[in-house]
Order: sequence, then structure tokens, then C-alpha cells
Amino acid sequence: MSGTAPSLEHLRAVAALQGVHPSDEDLAAVQGFLGVLLPAFSELDTLSPPGTVPAAMFVPTDQP
Amino acid sequence: MSLAALAGRLRRSELSPGEAVEHYLARIDAHDADVNSYITVLADEALAEAELRERDPEDSRGPLWGVPVAVKDVIDVAGAVTTCGSFVTEGAAAAERDAATVAGLRRAGAIILGKLNTHEFAYGAMTTSPRFGPGRNPWAPERIVGGSSGGSGAAAAARLAAGTLGTDTAGSVRIPAAFNGVTGLRPSTGRVSNRGVFPVSYSFDAVGPLAPSAEDCALLLGATAGHNAEDASTADVPVPDYAGGLPGGVSGLRVGVVRSLLEGDIDARIAAAVGGGIDELSGLGARVTDVEIPGVEHFGTIQQAMQFSDATQVHQATLQTNLDAYGPDVRARLLTGLFVPSTAYAAGQRARRVAHERMREVFGEFDLLCAPTMPVLPPRIGDDTVELNGTTILYRLTIIPYNSPWSLVGLPVLSVPCGFVEGLPVAMALIGWRFAEELVLRAGHAYQQVTDWHSRVPEVTPTD
Repeated sequence: MSGTAPSLEHLRAVAALQGVHPSDEDLAAVQGFLGVLLPAFSELDTLSPPGTVPAAMFVPTDQP
Repeated sequence: MSLAALAGRLRRSELSPGEAVEHYLARIDAHDADVNSYITVLADEALAEAELRERDPEDSRGPLWGVPVAVKDVIDVAGAVTTCGSFVTEGAAAAERDAATVAGLRRAGAIILGKLNTHEFAYGAMTTSPRFGPGRNPWAPERIVGGSSGGSGAAAAARLAAGTLGTDTAGSVRIPAAFNGVTGLRPSTGRVSNRGVFPVSYSFDAVGPLAPSAEDCALLLGATAGHNAEDASTADVPVPDYAGGLPGGVSGLRVGVVRSLLEGDIDARIAAAVGGGIDELSGLGARVTDVEIPGVEHFGTIQQAMQFSDATQVHQATLQTNLDAYGPDVRARLLTGLFVPSTAYAAGQRARRVAHERMREVFGEFDLLCAPTMPVLPPRIGDDTVELNGTTILYRLTIIPYNSPWSLVGLPVLSVPCGFVEGLPVAMALIGWRFAEELVLRAGHAYQQVTDWHSRVPEVTPTD
């Protein structure tokens, strides 16, 4: 997972693929968020030991 | 007057439901312009409902009989438009059916006064709606009410309803409870039905009460909790008698103080107030020791990896057709979700499992955890920064470390007022294991029997 914020051009193209057409001002704000989020998300892999299954939508009834 | 006290007066026929509704409508008329907590006041409907309640036979009156309450405007009330505080919903039809929680309130005898201000689509912690304007903190009207359930916090604090409902994805009940000086409960995820609530994130959303006291919250939770056959997100677990369990006290309970949050990036004056609250619990017989939660500093990131995608998925069709109708901050957050890699979502799901197991281990040694609800005072309206021990930082960055660790794992959290700093209320959070609402309410109630922070009323909206 890359930790670098994408360029405005890249963001515009990816948004368009999803049928959304933001302004450059909006994309600059998105770039700000991604600049913080993507490096943090790139470390998520390290938090789970191999074999950890996803939590998914769990509603456990267990007790400690 | 607390909700519980009002319910007692109604039960004893010291006033009628109609008189109670008229009292709150008069207060809304006199004071809501100062705090902007209501989006829609259902005056005629509430008066008509009060008339119906007055015909109820005595033996069929529920625990909230005749009590006027209000709900955040992401929660459906039949006959009213659910605006979500947004221009996106302009022209929307009225809800045809009550949300499950509103139906539960009515079954308990409560009367719905209206719909309350919210951060747009409950996706932010300011309650500065682009459509309806900012909520104003009743303790300092130049400051925000927090959010996203800001109207719910302000209305409860200003006694413009006896109690309110909000929603909490990553702090949206707890933050306004703290900033407005009322008690607020985020229940366990799955404890209360989200049917009829506009979602932020299907993974984390929870409807919860805000009111003056823990006892009030117990009554509101009792009316709204439980499995709902129409809502797959609700857990089929027993619902205890929350109000009946309140007198148990905290003697002998093992309370873990999350020291890393008490000594982290927090206003030292708030930390001192929370420390005073912890001392009170200790004085009541709780066995208080520090607790360390391995990896807790990552829990917020894990929640964000999932929450951004969840929220954007809900809005994707509207982003394609009506993007400009969103306010700038929510628009930016929703657009950001388009670019969160699917691999981050999957990694977040796995890491959430690890967080759940770690918290389960912690609750093997503790009955409750205690931490500050929020580390900062509410910012001024229009500012997105706050002062923290002499430095200026972004308000939104202060929220995640104090709120997401608990909602990530779906834990119940009661925010309890525990002091004032610069004339503004501050609060501590009491956290329990899943479905241990009874325990956090009991601890909050014990604390509120020996303190009066929760019963103070702001001067801008004095009571009679």
C-alpha cells in the first residue's frame, strides 16, 4: 500500500471513473486528508499477525 | 429538573403531559434562538400527543409517560422531514414511519417535541450546519456545541427537552455531552436499533441518549434498547432493567485508568478535573489502578480505514448527482473515501479483530475503564483549531485518540460531567465491555450521587 498522496490529475481521473466530478479546490482538500491518512493506513498491515481473520460486521455476545 | 424527576412528577399527577409539553415549548420559544438546537419544532403534534397520553389508563403508562423529548435530525419521526442538516435533503418527503428508537420512546409514553441540529449528515464534530447554521454552546454562545449530535447536547443542557437522542459513530454522542455539560451514553454497537436512522457507517453507528443524569440515560436506554427483527445490526441479547440496576454502587469494582490518555495531548486542567473524578470513584470504594492497552494509539487509524469507505458508499449516488449541495468539510471527507484503497479497508478489518481481542483481555482484568471524554475545550465557532497547553492544533485531530478506541470495538461509553474549566464543562468517560451498559450507568449514577456537576444549568438559558 503506497503512503504517498496522489496528484490532483490522478485524483480527478479516479473520481471520474466513479462518476464524480469534484472541483480542483475539493481535490486539494482531499489531497490534504490523504497526505495524513495514506501513510497511516500503510502501517495497518503490520498490526495483524498472519492468519488474523477480518472482524467484519460482528455482533458478538461473548463475555471476557 | 432531571428527566427522571419530571417522570416522577407526571406519574404522581403533579402536572399533566400537556403542561409538561407547554413548559418545554415555552422554553424553546424563549431560549432556542440563543443556542439554535432545534431544526424542527413539532409543537402541534406534541400537544396532540399529550392529549392522547392524558387518556391513557393509569395501569398502561410507561416509564416515560408524558415526558417531552427530542431527537437528532438524522432519526426519522413519522410526518417530519429528516433533513440531516443538509441542503442535499431540500425537497425531501416527510418520513412515513418512526425510527425504531422513536417508536420505542413512544411505547414508553414519551412525547416527541422536535428534531435537533446536527453536523451535516452526522459526519463531523462541530454542528455547523451549512443549511441551519451553527449550534451555539449554552455555556458560551461563541463556542461550538460539539457534534455531531450537537443540538441534542445543547437542548439537553439548556433544558429545552427533558432528554434527547443522538447518534455516535466515533464520538458524536460523547463529544456534545462533554462540551454541553450533560450525561451521554454511546451504547454497545448492536444494542440499539439503527432502523430509520440515516447512517454514517454501518460498522460503527449507535443511537444513544443525552440528558442531565445517568439515571435519565438509563430510562431512555431502557425505552430504546433491544433486538429488532427488521435490523440485522442489532444483537439478540437480553435487555436488563437499567434504571433498576442503578443503586448497585461501585464498591469493589475494578476500574482501570487509561493513563496514556490522561497524560497524553490533553489540556492539563481537564486532566486535573478527570483526576478528581477518578478520586471520587476511589472514595466510593472502586479499586482503581492504571491500565495499559497495547496498540491503542493505532485504534483510531483502524476505525478511519473503515469509516471513510463506509460513509462514502452511503453517499456515492448523491456525490455523482448533487455534489455541490454538500458543505465543504463534509464534501471533502466524502470525496476522500473514494480514494481509500480497498486493501486499507481489508487491513482495517483484520486489525479490528486484533483490537477486539486486546480489549477483551483488558476487560478480563477490569470491570470498567476511565479516561477523559475530550482532551480540549470546544473551539470558537468558525475556528477549526484549539489551544492545547500553549500550542494551537487542529480540533479534529484531538478527537480520534479519545473516542475511536472504544467505538472501534463497539464498547459502551458513558460521558459524565466532572468539572468546569474557564466556565466550560468537562467530562470523564466510563467504558465497559460489550453490552455492559448497566455497569457504566451504575458507576455514573454512583458518581452523580456525590457530585453536582451534571445538575448545573447554563445562565444563558436559566430555569424558572
